[in-house]
Amino acid sequence: MRKTLLLTAALGLTLGVGTAAMADSAWTGGDNLPTNPLACDNTPGEAAAKPYDGGAPTGAPDLKGKKITVVDVPKLIGIGYFNATSKGIADAAKELGNVEAKTDGPTQANIDQQISFIDNYITSGVNGILFAANDPVAIAPVLKKALSKGIHVVGYDANSQPDAREWFVNQAEFNGIAKALIDDMAKEIGEDGQFAIVTSTFTTPNQARWIAEMGAYQAKCHPKMKWLETVEAQEDNNLSFNQATTLINKYGDDLKGIFGMTSVATPASAEAVTQAGKCGKIAVVGLATPNAMKPYVEKDCVKSVVLWNPVDLGYAAMHVLRAVVDGDLKPGAKSVKAGKLGDLQIINGSEVLLGAPTTFTKENIGNFDF
Amino acid sequence: MATMVMNRVLRHESILGVLLVAALVVLAAQSEHFWTTDNLLNQGRLMAEVGLIALPMTFVIVTGGIDLSVGSIFGLCAILLGVFWQNMGMPLPVAMIGALIVGAVAGLGNGFIITRFKVPPLIATLATLALYRGLAEGISQARSVRGYPDWFFVLGQGEVLGVPTQLWLLIVCFAIAAFILGMTTFGRTTYAIGSNEVAARFSGLKVDRAKLLIYGASGLISGLAAVIFVSRVSTTRSDMGTGYELDVITAVVLGGTSIFGGRGTIIGTALGLILMQALKNGLALSGVKGDGTIVVIGAVLIAAILVGNLLSRDGDG
Repeated sequence: MRKTLLLTAALGLTLGVGTAAMADSAWTGGDNLPTNPLACDNTPGEAAAKPYDGGAPTGAPDLKGKKITVVDVPKLIGIGYFNATSKGIADAAKELGNVEAKTDGPTQANIDQQISFIDNYITSGVNGILFAANDPVAIAPVLKKALSKGIHVVGYDANSQPDAREWFVNQAEFNGIAKALIDDMAKEIGEDGQFAIVTSTFTTPNQARWIAEMGAYQAKCHPKMKWLETVEAQEDNNLSFNQATTLINKYGDDLKGIFGMTSVATPASAEAVTQAGKCGKIAVVGLATPNAMKPYVEKDCVKSVVLWNPVDLGYAAMHVLRAVVDGDLKPGAKSVKAGKLGDLQIINGSEVLLGAPTTFTKENIGNFDF
Repeated sequence: MATMVMNRVLRHESILGVLLVAALVVLAAQSEHFWTTDNLLNQGRLMAEVGLIALPMTFVIVTGGIDLSVGSIFGLCAILLGVFWQNMGMPLPVAMIGALIVGAVAGLGNGFIITRFKVPPLIATLATLALYRGLAEGISQARSVRGYPDWFFVLGQGEVLGVPTQLWLLIVCFAIAAFILGMTTFGRTTYAIGSNEVAARFSGLKVDRAKLLIYGASGLISGLAAVIFVSRVSTTRSDMGTGYELDVITAVVLGGTSIFGGRGTIIGTALGLILMQALKNGLALSGVKGDGTIVVIGAVLIAAILVGNLLSRDGDG
């Protein structure tokens, strides 16, 4: 028995040393794609014109104005963020009156399970699929299969390869989010502050893109800030809390700010800071739903939270899908009508832009409920 | 004695067979899309990875052991396939063989720790579950590997004679595993170890060698499943195969293999696997949501084991 314990301890030790050694190499959590940081002042970025690069379903039946069944398969179900997008989809379906929409998906952000879910819905014969990809490439074969069976496919929140879906509803441009986050952080911790990032996984498309853009924007506009480390925490509440606590213990007073890159990581980081008694000493800036952040914002532990409105995101995705089915949104279009949201702009060939992100502060956070 | 054990095992399988037929009939009645060639073949494709790993896992559990590290070996092999091919510039076929070798070595590593240091398999593979996953994440450097050539996708997305490629592979491996466990000295050694390891040793059986081979095979097949999975989803990530060990063990245990060892068959595992996949697919097609499906699978697992236990107790009386 003692031998067993020793061996387990030894294994644990090698593992610990192994991961510690790995952390030293430059893991930024970003991707390798080129970045496009915005100007340091508020000059808006220019959208380059690009031809339509989405896919097209083969032999899709003409369902203009007819009743359609739509399934929404988010990254995972049971978290506030995707409950909100799901509500938006249901709202839009009700408003349209000729759509039967339901949300179903894995309980963990797992590519394999998400693929199986979509596969099953293709077999059961839906007319449209809405998705938020756990991996842009892994999800592509099953989405192409849907297109080949004449099913309309529209993404939102997290993109796939462009040719595997028709349109993608982009909640906010990556460089816009990156600028908002870095500027907020610089305001709180100063131009020479040191910060760390808690993200989901290094290969999650959105987070990787934001982090890459954040790195570029920070180097350009706030060159003296120091980026200590990026840690992975899946989209798991407990793990996010533990990772944030580890960061606080590891860097002590050097750590001035933590970025939460997911709607789970940000409240968990705020909780970790609160429990460590570092409110006001360590700033937490991140993407999160207002409801999850209200307690921390009201206690002044968190000053600002950045997010688009996920209810609007789901709402827009449903309207885009209906417009595609009705033939109202075709390749080459400049904008699309999305119910109460009005005309949404088309960018990057086959993406529909939701709008600028919202910053929630103590003053306005009470007005939002999602 | 042997015939009594055989009878008991067959009885569990008959129950499972009846359960499976009942499930298939009910599910087919619930959704017109369930009992179609397209759907059934597609389910074969989706269950191939878990099915492959369930075969050596049956051997492992029959010896009274467990292998929790299969999902992590899966992830490690997947990421190394990408690294060998893209970062080290090996030709893809060589990289594929390399990934299989890594899987076998990782499995042998488990076997070595278990036999040489007498660490209980639960603890040894719990440790390597973390170790191999950590290696996978470290090696991947958080990058996914993409852009495999088209011929590679034949394995995971293609068809041979109208049947998914990996389903053929699963059937062949199934036949080999059933033959080894049911008809050979090695198979009888496996049962003997699980029934009474001390007695097996005193009977002059090469217990350690057998265990080493079984854990090695478990790693090798996890590697094979990883290669197929990468081909199916056309990309490589370090978090692949997370939680696979639970799906695999569920299929094996549902198939009537005793977690205490000494009892279990490959045909039982196959039935357990098919029942699980049929439930997942059929319930989804008949409109049950994902969370409901998990509840049903849990309930079926408990029911199958309870019924099996009740009947076998009657048999003892």
